[in-house]
Order: sequence, then structure tokens, then C-alpha cells
Amino acid sequence: MSGTHGTSATSGPTPDPVPPEVTRSTGQPGENPEGVAAVARLARRLLGDEDSVITERSRLRTYECDGLAHYRVTPALVVIPETTDQVAAIIGACAEHRVPYVARGSGTGLSGGALPRADGVLIVTSRMRRVREVRRADQRAVVEPGVINLDVTRAATPEGYYYAPDPSSQQICSIGGNLAENSGGAHCLKYGFTTNHVVGAELVTPDGEVVELGGLAPDAPGYDLLGTVVGSEGTLGLVTAATVRLVRAPEQVRTVLAGFGSTDEAGAATSAIIAAGIVPAAIEMMDALAIEAAEAAVHCNYPQGAGAVLVVELDGAAVEVEHEYAGVERLCRDNGAFELRVATDAAERALIWKGRKSAFAAVGRISPDYIVQDGVIPRTALPEVLRAIADLSRESGVRVANVFHAGDGNLHPLVLFDDSVEGAGEAAEKVSGAILDLCIGHGGSITGEHGVGIDKAAYMPKMFGDDDLDTMQLVRCAFDPEGISNPGKVFPTPRLCGEVPGRRKGAHPLQEAGLGEVF
Amino acid sequence: MSERLDETARKALDSACSHVAEAGDADAVDGVGASLVARPADTAEAAEVLRAASGHGLAVVPRGRGTKMTWGRPPRRVDVVLDLSAMDQVVDHAAGDLIVEAQAGTTLADVQAVVAQAGQRLAIDETVPGASVGGTLATATSGPGRVAFGTARDLLIGVTVVRADGVVARAGGRVVKNVAGYDLGKLVIGSFGTLAVLTQAVFRLHPLPAARRFVSVPVADPAAAHAATQAVIHAQVVPAAVEVDWPSEGTGTLTVELQGIPEGVSGRTTTTLGLLGGEASADDDPPPGWASYPWSLEARGDARDTALKLTFAISGLPDVLSAARSVDVPLTLRGSAGAGVVYGSVPAEADDTALSAALDRLREVCARHGGSVVVLDAAAGVKQALDTWGPVPGLDLMRRVKEQFDPDHRLAPARFVGGI
Amino acid sequence: MSATDEQRTGAPVDLGVPAPGGAFDEHRPPDPALVGDCVHCGFCLPTCPTYVLWGEEMDSPRGRIYLMKEGLEGEPMTEAMVEHWDRCLGCMACVTACPSGVQYDRLIEATRAQVERRHDRTARDRALRGLIFALFPHPRRLRLLRGPLRGVQRARLDRLLRRTGLLERLSPQLAAMEGLAPRLGRTERLPDSVPAQGQRRAVVGMLTGCVQREFFPGVNAATARVLAAEGCEVVIPRQQGCCGALSAHNGREPEAQAYARGLIDAFESAGVDFVVVNAAGCGSTMKEYADLLADDPAYAGRAEAFATRVRDVSEILAELGTVAPRHRLDISVAYHDACHLGHAQGIRTQPRALLREIPGLEVREIAEAELCCGSAGIYNILNPEPARELGDRKAANIVATGAELLVTANPGCLMQVASAIGRSGHPMGMAHTVEVLDASIRGISADDLIRSHQER
Repeated sequence: MSGTHGTSATSGPTPDPVPPEVTRSTGQPGENPEGVAAVARLARRLLGDEDSVITERSRLRTYECDGLAHYRVTPALVVIPETTDQVAAIIGACAEHRVPYVARGSGTGLSGGALPRADGVLIVTSRMRRVREVRRADQRAVVEPGVINLDVTRAATPEGYYYAPDPSSQQICSIGGNLAENSGGAHCLKYGFTTNHVVGAELVTPDGEVVELGGLAPDAPGYDLLGTVVGSEGTLGLVTAATVRLVRAPEQVRTVLAGFGSTDEAGAATSAIIAAGIVPAAIEMMDALAIEAAEAAVHCNYPQGAGAVLVVELDGAAVEVEHEYAGVERLCRDNGAFELRVATDAAERALIWKGRKSAFAAVGRISPDYIVQDGVIPRTALPEVLRAIADLSRESGVRVANVFHAGDGNLHPLVLFDDSVEGAGEAAEKVSGAILDLCIGHGGSITGEHGVGIDKAAYMPKMFGDDDLDTMQLVRCAFDPEGISNPGKVFPTPRLCGEVPGRRKGAHPLQEAGLGEVF
Repeated sequence: MSERLDETARKALDSACSHVAEAGDADAVDGVGASLVARPADTAEAAEVLRAASGHGLAVVPRGRGTKMTWGRPPRRVDVVLDLSAMDQVVDHAAGDLIVEAQAGTTLADVQAVVAQAGQRLAIDETVPGASVGGTLATATSGPGRVAFGTARDLLIGVTVVRADGVVARAGGRVVKNVAGYDLGKLVIGSFGTLAVLTQAVFRLHPLPAARRFVSVPVADPAAAHAATQAVIHAQVVPAAVEVDWPSEGTGTLTVELQGIPEGVSGRTTTTLGLLGGEASADDDPPPGWASYPWSLEARGDARDTALKLTFAISGLPDVLSAARSVDVPLTLRGSAGAGVVYGSVPAEADDTALSAALDRLREVCARHGGSVVVLDAAAGVKQALDTWGPVPGLDLMRRVKEQFDPDHRLAPARFVGGI
Repeated sequence: MSATDEQRTGAPVDLGVPAPGGAFDEHRPPDPALVGDCVHCGFCLPTCPTYVLWGEEMDSPRGRIYLMKEGLEGEPMTEAMVEHWDRCLGCMACVTACPSGVQYDRLIEATRAQVERRHDRTARDRALRGLIFALFPHPRRLRLLRGPLRGVQRARLDRLLRRTGLLERLSPQLAAMEGLAPRLGRTERLPDSVPAQGQRRAVVGMLTGCVQREFFPGVNAATARVLAAEGCEVVIPRQQGCCGALSAHNGREPEAQAYARGLIDAFESAGVDFVVVNAAGCGSTMKEYADLLADDPAYAGRAEAFATRVRDVSEILAELGTVAPRHRLDISVAYHDACHLGHAQGIRTQPRALLREIPGLEVREIAEAELCCGSAGIYNILNPEPARELGDRKAANIVATGAELLVTANPGCLMQVASAIGRSGHPMGMAHTVEVLDASIRGISADDLIRSHQER
């Protein structure tokens, strides 16, 4: 299984179990009960009340899944600490008793990265939500992992600053989760990802030690462990505080909505904009089916009859924005845009973004079930890949709506199906998998921002060779030799540390695909 | 020197790589003589060299264009210099995707020449002339452009490395947006060749700006430098760089670079001039010394200046500038006031004891502002006398990483922090 | 799926009917299809007051729906489940926030009815709830509370009060009520009807409410005056009782249904175009009568017809368009969206637009506007601690606007915010939207308006 599953109002879902191939990654209930009990005892001593140390079954079950509700595992224990020391003590106890743990922020991840272990502890950071400092003079803020992404911006706004990474779930996703997943967002085209905005972290290592990585100053001496930890999906430790870069709020923002006859035209316009040396804050595309869904859900009033729309956002100094806007307008029209709308104030911007940002949930209105993919391709391959997806869709009879970050080639195809129809789920899975293969075949990635988690671990060998994965495993073994920090995620076959990796025979998968010697 | 290598090891290297030569004096790494120089033609050959070295327990120091071989601490041993200068190709420039892929031995200048044909640039300053892609990444050098574009870690999107055991591994990819697997590129950047040998790198590119202007203002004291820096970074002028030049005595200079379209740059130049006061002036060309370090590049051996890298939270600037004047050695600073990174130079003839005291003093001030001071380069005697890397938080974890990647400590042994 | 999967994940079922032995029986359980609408995206979490306070999944809408799902899948109704459902304020901020259109309002109401029928509460809890419902839906008994404890004693509620601790819990409200009573003067009985001024544009019935009538009589009077000034003939049926909102929101389904039938009877005979409500909580429940009485063949159709005629006072004024001239009011007001107006009825723009029509008046937005003030019907009595925390948070955000007057459209909010603002040490005036409109139409000065609404 892969991709984010959703369901809509028209039919109740049949909750699928965790697929058998995943179960070895999630542990068995009742394993190591003494260890879990020992951690629970310590947690009670530290945290006190029953609202912070959860063992009651109906409560535990509410933590069974994150934003990818398709996978569900009841944790053996849930703890909700409030301080770094508490986290360190709990993880120390986990290490001592060899109890696996999984960190969870707001539980909005779309790859099952926070899927609990049946034999382990779920450490929830939602009560570690202090914005410790906003340091305008340093353009930095220090925040705890449970702080909501948007709350960092809210805290910085009075100073004229904001926190740039803006995943679609920014109103609820936590900074800790953002660090784990190296979250992106619509505006990372210009501003980069979480990893480009985190300059320091207080890390509790899988043996319960607290380590400071980076900080207010850049370029800490030694290996860039911070850069390694960000995006490691909770497998290298748990971050209990992050120092983040704040970005000056732009002087001007202009959002343009352009309607095109086809995705080919919209794709060509995107390429033309980039080729002209313009780096918009965001370029987002939706195809006809995605537009239909958004219209059904939020009546966003996108251009009538559009085969595709582009949302282009420009920001920066006023003169530049005006100039770039003129360029964007011209290039859109040159490439077939039949309607252009410009938002100049916050309300008009919100209206344009509404359709785009609601698109995922909105698709539920035109299909009972769907899978969201997160593949990435080189931007120039966009028209070709979209045509290939259309072919896949036609051949299989499975509808695919396309919503994506066109500027950086991050596709979010929504594969639609009706689970109540025999075989529909399997057909959708097949199309979904084929789309990932397309991405890999074009030299892209299986995930641009949702992470590998439990969901795409099986696809890692398609993108990386054994040696690549073994080398990543070396990092894992340095941080977490016992393999207790979010085990079973990211990598398809967890290897015990100390094992000698087998020498790979034969060609690298990409070599076989004819993509050069080493990518 | 080469006597140290036994015949079987030599043979193994010879069969691993078509270009293996005896090392000469010029191949010494920070005064430590090498036995052989292997010059592989591609990643596969580099892997063979490392595999052979692994089989015979040879210490290997990678070298790009050899412009910073004295940086860090002298290696414990050098059996083989892995010379990557034959791997000098820009493998691919996908202009429409704004990415470039280059081999480690390619000079930054060559990369820039290729991508400039499409009106693009790799936004890494060439702070040491002639530097290669690999060497730049291994030492994590940075220049003025870091205020707007970050550093190599923000631009590198894919790497191919060869491990100490000769295994070739990749991480990242050819697309800018990608979160699959660990970001090994981050780990390799600034690792001084101690974890693995980087043989190929993919970077994201930026468009070349149509116009650049430089607004400079003399700053008489640390407070003035601080005020000017703060005025610029909080304004709406979108600075590409905010550089401070702080000689060992007298007035310093703060220079703001503005990039973009001519109309925009012109307007923001006016605004910046207004922010910086009557003494500020604008120029089309950067001031002397722009994007270069404050130490002499010509000096060799014991004539080398002591080269420092100081980091601090941006608001620590005035304290750092004050500290620079309070020490008993002549210390020139230059660097990014807008990012909290300045480089320092102390003349080779400075008194060792005074230098050591100065280093302590600077470390104390930078640490107070969340930063550190690293001695990047110095004469052998000076290095010997100083803790060049200084305190390193997380060192234990770093040792564990090293242990995994290079358990026999054969890659650039002892060049890095904590004797790694 | 294998047996081990089943053990681990609970027993997923086709959520068509509640699984036997589970938390719910077959009489109106939370609708499995509605539960299935939740895609677990978490967008509701930051808007949920209890999640904001405690950061626990089980105290978020997503978690509460998950508990319902567990119940439908066969998990028995546990103390824990009931506790977490009980803690829901019913503010419906999650309904506004949900991109998938999950009807949490219907889910929690159905769940609460099941809890009331199927769950054994403690004696103390039962007594407290019993007392509240013996008091609040009854204007006359409430009136006794106004003349402080004597009235309570006379109603023979004192022993009950002591046993339940209601007195301590009520005391901030009592203090607030006492504070406002002298300034408001006696409750004036409203006439049975008020003629329209100028051309008659509509005939509207007016709900006088329970708390509104007894504690904020000025609001009812202002409502009648404004409606009349805007060309409405206002009919005020004498025999009207409680709308049943508090009962419905707390799972007392039969009681709520009885109240609903009574109100439908009262207004049907009045022959009005619209039924106008000035208390947000009442309005939102009355708009849902069709659902509440869906299983009652005698009333289902009438309930539906009634529900379509219900309008909040700001809604009807916006719908009709205002005609009465406004006098200048130089005043800054912070507008607080009552949850049952904003989230439950989606009425946000109308009151703001009406206020902005007033020359000289500046409307200021309150930070964390979507977050409940903690009043939530009787929630502040049943759950005083979280309610107090939410109230203080709301008060701080209101005070931060620097506005001279707080304006909102629900008596519960006014009482709750009044006590929180009192604690904050930054006294400010508080008024219902319609009182501000009334002041502008009647030409009362800003100073007088503020003075007469100081520290409610």
C-alpha cells in the first residue's frame, strides 16, 4: 500500500488493517511487557496524572494512526511529557529496557511516520508548545517541538517576520513533525524547506542523552549532524527544541490565478516563467478534475472551462514584484492563458488559495476514496509525465486528479476509487504505484515532502541501491545502535547494527534504467 | 617517503587506478608527506582506489584542486593522496530544471562558466580562487552571498560518495524537492574528507541577476556597524549580502549588496543609502577584497597568517568587533555581518602567547553569542600550540558517525574535530 | 486480515450499524457514515478549546470521533470515553475548520443522547445535572436566582446546591449578575406585540429565551425596538418556553424534544414570517429542530417548516436590509463570535456589517477568534476549571484589542466573559450587538452606551 488514503461522505470506509508485510515493522502487542511497564512507572513518577501517561485502551486507540489513517497500530503506552528532561528520562528508560519509541507531534503526517509500535511507547510532544524566544535582532526564534507551524509565524508577525516553510497543514502540523519530515510547502520553491530554516536543535538521542546541535550562530564546527537529523523521520532521536530562521515579511505579495485550456499549456507557462529568470514564491497547478472537486467543496470560482489553472505567487520588494508580475502575465498569455486574475489584498489572496489548499479534502466530494501521491519529477518532464499519467488513467479506467507544486515538480496525483467496488482499490494502488515508477524513471523522487514513513519504505529500493541504503544505515547505527527510535520506518529492511553489509552485485537500479553511471 | 608502502599495496593501487604516481613534496598535506598520488578518472576508479587502500590499511586524503590542503589539522598519516582533478566535468546542466551536476574535481569557475551560458549561477562564492566543487564542499567555505542564498548545504541536492571501504553510495537526487532517505550530503559538507570521498554533486541553481549594486558606509565603531547591519536586515531592501570589513585598527566598512532588476536595484539602493546615512555611497563594483578571506593566499609554510572563522548570533556583532580590538594581536576581520560569520586573520609574526590569549577571548565572546571560533589554518607551530577546533558540542555523536563510516580511521585521519 | 491484525487494531467492522456489545445501541447512534467522513487530517485540533488547553488527542474532535468509531466497532462505553465526550464544549469550531465537511455537531449530539441513556453517572454528577436542568430552562426559577440566595433557599435548592458544589461554581456568575442588576433595573415585561415603524416589511415572532429574559432583559427590549424600527411587526407569544438548547446539547433528548414541540406550538399559532432569536445557542438548536424531531410523525413536518423560518436577529436585519437611520457612535468595539452564531450558524459577516454601518464605529478583531470563551451553555458549571482557563484566555485577547466595548450575541458568552474580564482587572463595557444598533438608532451617545454596559 502506498499513498494517503481518504474517504468521503458517500460511503463509510472499511478500515484496512496494517498490511502483513508491515507488521514486522510495527511490533507485536504484548512483547516485552516488563520493559513497557518499567517505562510507564518512570513516566508516572515524572508526569503524574493519568492524562499524561495513558494506558487505558480506548484512550490508547485514539493514537492508533496519524494523518495516514490507513495504517493503525495501538501503542502499548502513550506519554505526554512537557520538558526536555522528561523526554530524556523516558527515552533513557526505553533504551535501558529496550522498548521502542515513536515520537508524534500533531499526528498529521501523510506517510505513517508517527505510526506507533504495538510493543512500544508513543511520545507525544503536543504539550511542549512554548515559543521560548523570538529574537528579532538575530532573525531567529527558539521553539519547542509541539509548537504549531503557523504559531511560529504568529509569534514573529509583530516583529515583521514569519517562518517560511508552509506545509498545507501549517495551521496544525507541529514544528517537531516538520523537522522529522523536512516539510516543504507551496512556498519552498523560493524559500526552501525546513532543513534550510532550522539552524539549531536540542536533540535527545536514542540513548537518552541531550545534545545541542547548531544554535543561534551558523556553521557549528564538526559534522552537520543537525542537517542529518532534519528529515530523518524520527529515526535518529527526538528534537525537544529548535532554533529556526525567521524571514522578513515581504514588502509586497501578488497572487495570480491563470486559467489554461490544458495542463500542457500550464506546464509550458511554468517552464517559461522559470526560464525567464523569475523565481516566484510559489507556482501551483491543478487540472480539470481537481478544479471540479475544489469547486464542489468551496465554490472557489476558478475560471470556467479551464483544463488547468496555475496559481503563481510573487513576493519581495514592490518594484521587483511589479516587474515580475508583468513577466508572468505575458508568459501566461503567450502560453495560452485565457483568463488572469490578480489578488492584491489578503482577502483576494485567500480566495485564490482556498481552492488550492482545500483540494485534497475536496476530492472526497467527487470520489468516495482516494490515494494522494507525493512523487517528484524534474520540472521540465512535467508535460510528458502528465501525459503518461493520463494514459495510465485511460488504460486502467482509474480517474486521477492532479494537484501539484509545479514550480519544483512535486506532484500530488489523487488517484480516485470507490472501495465498495470489487477490485477498485487494487486498481487504484496499481496506478498509484505506476505513477511512482514514472517519477523514479524520470530521475525524480518517491517523496517530495510527505516522507517515506511506513508507507513508502517498500519503494526505497526502487530509488536507491543496496549500497545507498546500507550507507544510510551507517548513520542510523551511529545514532541508534539498538534500533529503538521509530524502528521500521523509512528503510525497507531494518538491519542490525554491526552486521556486515553484503556487497551488492549487479548494476544500480538507475543504471539499469539507463540513467547513467551513478545517477 | 614511498618506502613505507609495501609492494603488494602499491600493486593493488596500480591495478585499481590507471594514474598512480609517486608523491612529491608538493603533495604533502599540511606538512605531512604522502607516498602515492592516485588520480582516478571516474567514480568507479576512485572506488577501486579506496577498496585497494582498504585492503591494505592505507590512509587516504582526498584532494580537489589542492587550494586548502593546509586547512584543519595535519593528518596523522598520508599514504595516498586521492587526486580528483581529473574528474573535472560538468556532467549535466539541466537549465530548465535549474540544476547542475558536476564531478568533484571541477573548479567552481568552470561550473559557473557552463551555467552562465543559460543565465544561471551556482550561488556559492569562490572565496578561494581555483577551488574545486569537492574541496569547497569538504571545507564548507562561504562568502557574502550566504545572506541571500545560504551556503553549500542549502544548494546541494544530491551526492555520490565513495566510502572508506570502496563502496559507492548516493543520496538525495536530481530534483530540488526530495525527502527520501537520509541527507548524506549534509554529513559530507564540511567533513574535511574524513567520512567519505565525494565524487559527484548535484546543485540547485539560481538565475544570474540583471543588476548588482554595492552600498558602502564607513563604520567608526562596533556600535555603528551593528546599527547599520540591523537597519538593513530589518528593512525592505532584500540585501544579497551584508559584509563588514574590520581592520585591526581604524575605521571599518559595512557594504550591502543589492541584486535584481535594474529598476528594483536602483530603488533599493536609494533606500539603503537613506538607511546608512550621509557617508554611504553606492558603486557598481564590489569593494576590494569582496568575497575573499582576509588572510594572504600567497604565504606558505610558517609564513602563513593564522586564519580564523568566527560565528555568532547576528546581534553579537558589536561584541565580536570590540573583542577583535581588545586582543593583543593585530586581528583583521571580514565577513558576513548579516549572517553572523566573519573570518579573521592574524599575521604570522604575531606572538604565540598573545595569539592563544586572543583565541580564548574571542571564543568566550562568540560562545556568549551562541557561536564558536575555529582556527582554519596557521603555521605548523601555531597549530601545534592551539586547540584549533575548540569545543565541539555533540563530539561523541560525531565520533560514532566516524566509527561507522571509517572504523579504521584511514580517511584524512586526525584532520578534523576531536582528532577525527 | 489475520487474527493478529485484529488483535492489534481492534476489530474493524463495516460501519453500517453499531457492533453488538459496543458503546452504542441502535437508537440513533452516531451515524457511522458521518464518522467515516473524517479523514484524520487534524485540521480541527487547533480550533478545539480542550485540545488547545490539554494537547491530548482524546480531547480533540478527531479523537472524540475516533472514540465514537471505537464504540461503533464494538468497544464498550468506557468511563474514559464518556469523560472525553463530556469535556467537549460543543462550540463547533471544528465544524467550521473541517475541510471534509464532517458533521461533528450531529455526531456529538447523538453520542451524548446515548451517553445519557446508557451510561451510569455518579450520584453527584447526576444531582448537578438534574439541578441545572431544573433551573436554567425555567425563567421563573432563574428569576429567583437574581435576588440572591433567598430565592435559592425559597426554591428549596439550597441543600442540593451544597451537595453539588453548584454554588461555588455559580458564584462568579452570580457576582456578575448582581453587579449588573441594579443598573439594568427591573425586568420589564414586553408587550405581546410591537407594531412596525414605517412601512411593514415583515411579521416576526421573537423568542425571549430563558437566561436572556431574566439576566439581560435589555437585550430583548432592544431587539424588539430595532426590529420595529426596521419595519418589522414583532409578535411575542406569551406562552413560549425554553427552546431546549441546553437539553439537546447535553444529551437530554426527550426533554429537548418536549421543549421543541412546545415552542413550535407557540409560534405556529402566531402566524409569523420569521422566528427571530437573539441568543445564538437557542437559534442554532431551533434551526436543527427538523433533525431533533425527525422520528416524530406528528411533528417532523412542522419542525422542518419551523426551522426554515428561524433567523438570528443579525441575520434577518442583514436579509431585509436596514432602513432606519443610524446616529453616529464614536466607539471602538471588539466583536466576539459566539460559537453558536459563528461556528454553528455560520453567521460572521452579518453582525460585523451591521456594526460597520454605524458611522464612527470601529470593529476590532479578537486574536484566536475561533476559540470558545468557555461558556458553552452550562459547560462552565460542569467543568469550571477549563472554562475558567478559556475565559481568561479570551479575556486577555479581548483586552489586547484595546476596544472600549465588547460586543457579542449570546447571553452565555456575556456572562462568561464578564467574569473573566472582571478577573483580568481591565474593566470594559459589554453589550449585545442589537443593543449597539439600538443605541445608534435612538441616538444614545457612545459614553452613555459604555456607561450603561460597564462591567456586566
